[in-house]
Amino acid sequence: MIAQLRKNILDLIIITAGFFAVLPIFGINRATDFIIFCIFVLGFNLLYGYMGRLSFGHMLYLGIGAYTITLFAEHVSKNPFLALIASILAGALIGVIIGPIVVRTTGACFALINLAFNQVGYFLALVALSRWTGGEDGMSAYFNKIALFDFGKKPVIFGFCLFSLLFTFFILKRLLSSPYGILIKSIKENEIRVKFLGYNTFKYKWIAFIISTTISSFAGALSILNYGYVTPSFIDPTRAVEVIFATLIGGAGSLYGALIGGVLYMAISNYLASYLSRWEMFLGFALLIIVFRFRKGVWGYVKDKFAIKAHGMVR
Amino acid sequence: MINTIAYGLTIGGILYIISIGLSLTFGTMRIVNFAHGLIYTIGAYLLITTLPIFKNNFIIGALFTVLAVIPISYVIERFIIRKLYGVSIDYAIIATYAVVLIGIDLIKWIWGASPIPLSDPIGIDITLFSVTIPLYRLMIIVLSLIIFVTLTIFFKKTMIGKIVIAALEDKDAVRSLGINVDKYFSYVFIIGSCLAALGGVLYAPITSVHPYMGMMVLLISFAVVLVGGLGNIKGTFVSAFILGLVMAITGRFWGPAAETMVFIVMGIVLIFKPIEV
Repeated sequence: MIAQLRKNILDLIIITAGFFAVLPIFGINRATDFIIFCIFVLGFNLLYGYMGRLSFGHMLYLGIGAYTITLFAEHVSKNPFLALIASILAGALIGVIIGPIVVRTTGACFALINLAFNQVGYFLALVALSRWTGGEDGMSAYFNKIALFDFGKKPVIFGFCLFSLLFTFFILKRLLSSPYGILIKSIKENEIRVKFLGYNTFKYKWIAFIISTTISSFAGALSILNYGYVTPSFIDPTRAVEVIFATLIGGAGSLYGALIGGVLYMAISNYLASYLSRWEMFLGFALLIIVFRFRKGVWGYVKDKFAIKAHGMVR
Repeated sequence: MINTIAYGLTIGGILYIISIGLSLTFGTMRIVNFAHGLIYTIGAYLLITTLPIFKNNFIIGALFTVLAVIPISYVIERFIIRKLYGVSIDYAIIATYAVVLIGIDLIKWIWGASPIPLSDPIGIDITLFSVTIPLYRLMIIVLSLIIFVTLTIFFKKTMIGKIVIAALEDKDAVRSLGINVDKYFSYVFIIGSCLAALGGVLYAPITSVHPYMGMMVLLISFAVVLVGGLGNIKGTFVSAFILGLVMAITGRFWGPAAETMVFIVMGIVLIFKPIEV
């Protein structure tokens, strides 16, 4: 583990430096937001970019984390770390429960079943369980101060989120360079051949799904630590397009692409939306351009440019 | 209870009209067309705009709307969908979703975001088996039956229909006979879009018209398509009415749960009958 950490230390330094570099531009509040969103994009990217399964209902898993941490703080304990662990477990649990149904499908069915589950979750949070979740108004969450970790203070939450992002990045990097990661990528390329090689692809897809829901749920819980307030917008299925857009713009199937996409999306949506009143239309045209002209995203583009320069050849 | 069943059949009829186009595009082109829901919304809005022009004549307004959608759906087919044949299905989902985003924003720009109510165009109630039902709803059920019969004949008897049915089975075999399959797919796409607009027109007087009305209906139509089987014309018909009844009966006991129940039924069906796309 430590030897591996030393190998990846460069990545971790680059990411940390990157976020500290954008810190003065965006301010600490927004930078924290960006980091949390990046964690969410990393979780989504594992499914879409690496395993080739487009989920159109990933907000459900974010929302599960957000609601679990709030309800845990409300009813069980105000210890933020216990609440975080609870929401991570909840994210894993939802992956375990609905994974067997979801991962058997591919392509459009995968996207739509996720969307359907998300719709059910949204309904539960908004209407059916509104007595506990606060319905449309949402509810606030309060956390106790544990030793140095006072999550009411912005630098503390920024540091903690950055640490969480580095941790997630490291785990994913390790995972994806392991034989298991190679297996996931091969499932994207050709699942039938992987089956021919004697692997039980169902099991591996299920595990990847659980990891993805867990990371997403973790991101949801972190954003509640940051905002201190949960609303149904955390589980709203129409917002699923945000994370898809972020993944595509950065470049699906690469960890740096996910980070770049997360930061770019948040920057665009934070600043452009205040200047541009027709923000949804811009998003639509941008998505069309990406799909038709710019499939590799920013990171893929940069990588291609760099590769051409390094080998001194033009393709 | 009879009233609930009649309501369920009405919803089922509208769902059938909307989802048949989705089922055909899904079955033939393997493209998940989110823009279908947009066409549905546009249909409802066009009806509202044109009704005063046609002196509130609902039938002419509906006909005009269905015809007016043809150029819109042609543009979407020609410039978006046709470029996505054979490309990864994820890009098709994202691109058509992008079209929906643009379209919804345009609708908000033109008509505003607030819901617009529309009154029952017939306004006569009839009494059947000691239950009073608006005549309009009965007309919808009859209309959906007519459309079902017409489409069945269309796919059994006409050349276009036969080619499409054959392409549903084996696209490459049809293509190897020297038939330009894509041309027929665009016919299917436009017919499906017209039916979606008709669905919007028919549903507008039952609920209110707002920019996001298409999304929920689209999701339910996808449930209809998945339960009925991709590109299965009869299956879509049966599943539309079953899910319509599910919605109406659930809604009778607990209003907000009506739509969610559809997805639960869909989930159960998919557990026992997973679909490979």
